[in-house]
Amino acid sequence: MRFKDAFKTATRSLTHGKMRSILTVLGVVIGIASVIILMSIGQSAQNLILNQVQSIGSNLIIVIPGAPSNGRFSSPAAAQGIVITSLKQQDIDSLQREPTIDYAVPEVRGQAEVVYGNNNTTVGYTGSTADFFVVSNLAKVSTGQTFSKSDVDSGNHVVVIGPDLAKTLFGANIDPINKTIRVKGVSFRVIGVLSKGGTGAFGVDIGNLVVMPISVAQKQLLGTNYYNVIVVQANADYDPDFVKSRISFVLEHNHGITNSSKDDFTIQTQADILSILGTITSVLTLFLAAIASISLIVGGIGIMNIMLVAVTERTREIGLRKAVGATNRDILEQFLIESVLLTFAGGVIGIALGAGVVGLLYFVISTFFDIGWVFAFPISSVILGLLVSGIAGIAFGIYPARQAARKNPIDALRYE
Amino acid sequence: MIDVRDLKKEYIEEETTTRALRGVTFSIVAGEFISIMGPSGSGKSTLLHILSFLDRPTGGSYTFQGKSIDDMTDQELAFVRNKDMGFVFQSFNLLSRLSVYDNCEVPLLYSKTPPSRRKALVEQAVQSVGLEEKLYTEAGRLSGGQKQRVAIARAIVTDPNVIFADEPTGNLDSQSGLQVMEILEGLHKKGRTVILVTHETQTAEFANRIIRVKDGMIESDNLITTNRNRHNGVLK
Repeated sequence: MRFKDAFKTATRSLTHGKMRSILTVLGVVIGIASVIILMSIGQSAQNLILNQVQSIGSNLIIVIPGAPSNGRFSSPAAAQGIVITSLKQQDIDSLQREPTIDYAVPEVRGQAEVVYGNNNTTVGYTGSTADFFVVSNLAKVSTGQTFSKSDVDSGNHVVVIGPDLAKTLFGANIDPINKTIRVKGVSFRVIGVLSKGGTGAFGVDIGNLVVMPISVAQKQLLGTNYYNVIVVQANADYDPDFVKSRISFVLEHNHGITNSSKDDFTIQTQADILSILGTITSVLTLFLAAIASISLIVGGIGIMNIMLVAVTERTREIGLRKAVGATNRDILEQFLIESVLLTFAGGVIGIALGAGVVGLLYFVISTFFDIGWVFAFPISSVILGLLVSGIAGIAFGIYPARQAARKNPIDALRYE
Repeated sequence: MIDVRDLKKEYIEEETTTRALRGVTFSIVAGEFISIMGPSGSGKSTLLHILSFLDRPTGGSYTFQGKSIDDMTDQELAFVRNKDMGFVFQSFNLLSRLSVYDNCEVPLLYSKTPPSRRKALVEQAVQSVGLEEKLYTEAGRLSGGQKQRVAIARAIVTDPNVIFADEPTGNLDSQSGLQVMEILEGLHKKGRTVILVTHETQTAEFANRIIRVKDGMIESDNLITTNRNRHNGVLK
């Protein structure tokens, strides 16, 4: 039989049982829509994360204490919460003398209860230098000012806080500036409130940020003399990879390391972070798609079940077709085309449904949540959806089609 | 055209063997009109199914147009069924939700006849059974006699050499049965070989040769020179 005729015969068979066909494809529709939705959400999340990393600027380089991990996905020891004290003031001094570097900003981090009057909340705090606001792109404050180098040098108990925290502690009617808050029991004077909230680079909750001079944080709150991280802003005239090698050279010299495989610090450029995060989020997206594909398998089994019923119901038709000249191959093709048509139609409807849900989600998220959610509808998910639905049609249709093709004509004609 | 020698067919189910044909030998030349008669369970339908390539024998030889069935693959059998054979069944075996046109077109789809030629062939076949006005009527809406005429149109649409008819009047009233038999007789007169299975003597007498089968063997094989018990316009 010509393919065009086989196609026509198959569509005619399917349209004769419209309701059954619709119910049969429902499983595939849900399966493909789930894959599309989850892939889109995964892609959107990936874009969001990568955008945030990119927003810190391509010339930012992060130095973390602890040896670089061997595995691509294992984090340096410091990032796993192990205390490593290798980064000290001497390193900052050396890096600041390096001509390829504009800023070398040390940071210490911790968590503490912040109290004003009867209001209190637990947030993360950061101790850093005045340059923190420059390299973090947070120099703009809505009220007050950021702290200065002299505040750091003098160990002044001053803080700059995020707008959400200001609202939590002071409400809408009290001006936070020059008010005294207590962080981990130590008094600080609020000198500035950041202008924008939301989530910053590396998932930092800017809205609830507490930034204080590093000298105070180290002596009064943490009792340490090392840093959790050094953020380096490379001179724009130099390639970040070259600057990375210079940082490595300087720190190895300071730490007396002659073999770079024994480094007690890890340097990550934005490209390194993007690469790792990109891979992680891609794997996550695939993982989500794999979960969604379970429903696709269930839908496919539904198709196979219905096709097996159809083969039994249409046994006499198969016998008749064979009697008038249909070969085994003709019968196999007819049933296979029917199942592929069913799954493919399910795929197309599923993609449309998935796109609709993704659009709705984007509308809801962008309307009600200020997290910079990026609408992503990867074309690869559409191609994958169509491809998978077609393959599912063949995979789940081949067995019923073979059952039909194998029928002996006379037995099929006698079937009651 | 058809030559069978010591043809046997056995059905084995679990430990029981049923011998439907126990060694049948005869020949049919092109253009004959043959009735195969016999009581229920005599093996006449089994013989027709083997002659029409719908089933294979378990013993003996069957040669169709000079070629042995043993040497042919299932695909070749399907090809011969499509090109050289036409089928008329007792229960019509029409695709009830398709139109008369679509039903008659089915064999042409498998012979890969171009669409432009298919229309002319179907119209010609339907016209020859007098149902041109029902061409686009759903087959399920037709009367029994009309259905059987559609089945005949479908059987002749590929212009086969042989028409096999298995109890073609079995589900029809006498008048419709007569119409059907007259159509088959007309096809025979135009040179086609017609092989008919029936247990009705009046129907069998349309043929010019009657082969009687009993207990899987040929009981008699007679040529008929004069016949017809159908003078009143109905099968008696």
